[in-house]
Amino acid sequence: MPAPISVREISKSFFDEGRGEIHAVNAVSFECREGEVFGLLGANGAGKTTTLRMLSTIIAPSSGSASILGHDVVTDAENVRKNLGFYSASTALYPRLTARETIKFFAQINQYPPGRVTERVNYLIERFGITKYADSRVDRLSSGMKQKVSIARTVAHDPRIVIFDEPTVGLDVLNALEVQDSIRQLRSEGKTIIFSTHIMSEAEKLCDRIAIIHGGRILACDTLANLRDSSGQHYLEDIFIHHVRDRA
Amino acid sequence: MNWGVFRLLYVHEMKLLARARRTIVLSVLLPALIMPIMLLASKYSNDQRRQTLADTNYKFTITGPLAERIRNLIEKARTLDSKAAQRFKFTEVPTDDPAKALEANEIQFYIRTLTGAEADALSDSPKARLKGVPMVTVVFRGNQDVSNNGQGRIVELLERARRADSELSLAQHGFTGDPRQLFAIDTANLATGDQVTGLTVGRFITAILVMLMLTGGSVAALDIIAGEKERGTLETLLTTAAGRTEIVMAKQFAISSVALAVTLIQALNFFVYIKLKVIALPPGFNLGLSSGMALTLLMLFVPLALTLGSILLMLSAYAKSYKEANLYFFPVYLLGLLMSLASLLPGVPLRSAIVIVPIANVSVAAREILVGRPDFPMIILTFGIMLCAAAWLLRSAARMLSREDIVLPAHAEPAEFIGGKALFGKRVLRWFALMWAIEFAAAANVPQLATLRRQIVFNEIVLMLGASMLMIRLYKLNLRDTLSLRSVKPVVWLAILCAIPTANSAAVAVFRLANIFIPVSEELMRSASEGLIPAGMPQWQLFIFVAVLPAVCEEITFRGILLSGLRRRFHSVTLVIAVGLIFGMFHMTLFRIAPTAVLGMVLTGIALMTGSIFPGMLLHMGNNAWGVWTEQHGFDLGALGPWQSAALLAIFALSMWIIFRNRVRPGRIHTRS
Repeated sequence: MPAPISVREISKSFFDEGRGEIHAVNAVSFECREGEVFGLLGANGAGKTTTLRMLSTIIAPSSGSASILGHDVVTDAENVRKNLGFYSASTALYPRLTARETIKFFAQINQYPPGRVTERVNYLIERFGITKYADSRVDRLSSGMKQKVSIARTVAHDPRIVIFDEPTVGLDVLNALEVQDSIRQLRSEGKTIIFSTHIMSEAEKLCDRIAIIHGGRILACDTLANLRDSSGQHYLEDIFIHHVRDRA
Repeated sequence: MNWGVFRLLYVHEMKLLARARRTIVLSVLLPALIMPIMLLASKYSNDQRRQTLADTNYKFTITGPLAERIRNLIEKARTLDSKAAQRFKFTEVPTDDPAKALEANEIQFYIRTLTGAEADALSDSPKARLKGVPMVTVVFRGNQDVSNNGQGRIVELLERARRADSELSLAQHGFTGDPRQLFAIDTANLATGDQVTGLTVGRFITAILVMLMLTGGSVAALDIIAGEKERGTLETLLTTAAGRTEIVMAKQFAISSVALAVTLIQALNFFVYIKLKVIALPPGFNLGLSSGMALTLLMLFVPLALTLGSILLMLSAYAKSYKEANLYFFPVYLLGLLMSLASLLPGVPLRSAIVIVPIANVSVAAREILVGRPDFPMIILTFGIMLCAAAWLLRSAARMLSREDIVLPAHAEPAEFIGGKALFGKRVLRWFALMWAIEFAAAANVPQLATLRRQIVFNEIVLMLGASMLMIRLYKLNLRDTLSLRSVKPVVWLAILCAIPTANSAAVAVFRLANIFIPVSEELMRSASEGLIPAGMPQWQLFIFVAVLPAVCEEITFRGILLSGLRRRFHSVTLVIAVGLIFGMFHMTLFRIAPTAVLGMVLTGIALMTGSIFPGMLLHMGNNAWGVWTEQHGFDLGALGPWQSAALLAIFALSMWIIFRNRVRPGRIHTRS
């Protein structure tokens, strides 16, 4: 069975006045298996967000190719997005819509079968525990509530692939735990998840396989057990430092 | 285009806009209230003015040796016109220091009288006054309404008094005839009251609509993309299954809907307040617009709304934040308003070049419809041009949303970093805008540059050649590639030699042909063939200053630098038009812009086809020299018959065809960059 996410030698370069030409992502390749949580672990500026933005078709790769469920991210972008839920710290909600309207809009725009939209919206509202404030405008919700609505809108169209780009950045411990729980639940539903983070403990707890990314390159990619074996380190933090120092 | 997704996005955008208080206030409430407020304010102001004039008792005083005589004359004039006397109440207040009393607002004006001798002694005596004639001066304060009104009334009365006095004086000296029996003067206005009102409304209706559309539409537009970028919702939207075309179209239609709502509100206002006269209109204000004309007008405002919607969308898409979009909005607002005031241009009908200028054409068309003289073929053309402009702007906005540096502000513009040729391409238009501004400022403010020699030296050598060399140095450009300094086939030279005597005539012929469809003013036609040759200049100097220097400097600047800078950004056809138009704009005289723009397009086309500026340089030089020769020998190109014009056009077309057949394909041009 082909991998639902396949990334081959993908690169992205852009220019920054202060830093010059930047190879944000440099010939990155990996595959995600059906139903797993695949972690992209790297420090800030390692190339995680750029990689995920290329996968979600927001930006185009400079070279290389990537496909989601067999759809190429450049030539078949619309089908890629139809099968994808993208969540990141920088994606926001419409403040003037209610929670219910938000979920409904994203289900419809991602072409969820029209006859089942209401049923899906009600299910998500109940599932994420947002019944009480489902009809309140988003700008009147607390950040924790917004977080839940945000995840609900990401999966509103029941995508097979979900991308979480540093979802817990800026959240307090309780809200971060709720996000982690949501990711676990989604995995139990059989979704394939790419999860990027710079927090080692999160990656350790959630990911089936982890890719260590640094300077736009993938330094290692395996299960946590195998990474421990190959590096001779137990803790993920030590494994990460082991690989990054090797590269330096 | 997925219409289901488009509909969903459009409803979504409209829902968001309807929930924004600012949009409702500026797009619905303000346009709805502006007309009744203006009418009520006008009615209130008129009533108040009438009341004030009726109630005011103007206090004044008369000073000087002729005070008694003037007092008697005024009294007599008041008895002659009892109506005026009723409207104008005044009381003379004795005062020792009238200037002080006027300053303290105790009187509204005073009349100073001087004998002939006293007036002669004045240093600032009016020139029109004959020596020895007594003088009466009304002293008032122009910054006070009552004083101003009083002055007007008393001057009117004094003139009447003088007339009566002079008639009396003539009669006393034996001239018994009445000058009023010579002949009566009257006017007969053939325009109906509706047409006169139509002219007043027609001059301003588009400007008011553009102002309201831009104000209301901008709130929607800035929120719809720039606001979304700032909030992060645009990135969320871009990760959905909706295509960028659907996203842009839905946003454009949402903004245009706001602009259309503004238009419909104004149409409703016209019906309620102008047709049904719910509020009393000023005297003589009567707009009798038929339903058909009203519908035509409304139809014309639809593409106007779409165009303004697209402009605002583009502006919002280009800005990285709400604040940045606000910065761009003001110049766009001013430009839009300026173009919508084209209806104020005297003697410019829609059947002229104005028909191709978006917004300005609607403004002129609206005026013609409202004065009852609609030109339907031109209105249809206006409609088409506006739709094309809206579509082109919409396409540009969609392209902007595909640019990563615009969608994601974190991505810096590559050209900024690379510098050199990449940055040159980005900055070249700014350079030319600056050069144009300098040329314009110098032409308007430096009289020393009025002579041909100085003008050529400053414009061509200092400004154009200087700026071109500076750009080559600053951006480290390859001289040969940038200026297209390449040799061409001998047959191209032959074709250019054939084109020289025909290019000028061809330009005139093109204008004559265009004149059949869009009449061009006689002045423009004349200027197409006239030159600016100073008398008494030696032949060799004329050749240098009129032919050689402009050809060399302008070809280096426009077909070298400008064309090279824009080459990567535009398609060949767009390049030809853009470079030609910019070239025309640099020829400051209004009526020279169009013919030189046509010549500029031809020269740009030749530079693109031959991959060299040398053939264009020769044609430019030959064309200018030919222009000088024809003018010196009294050869009027504009006077050629249709067959002669057609023959010249044919020779010119043949020359161009030869150049086209021998064109250099872009891939074959060797470049070093």
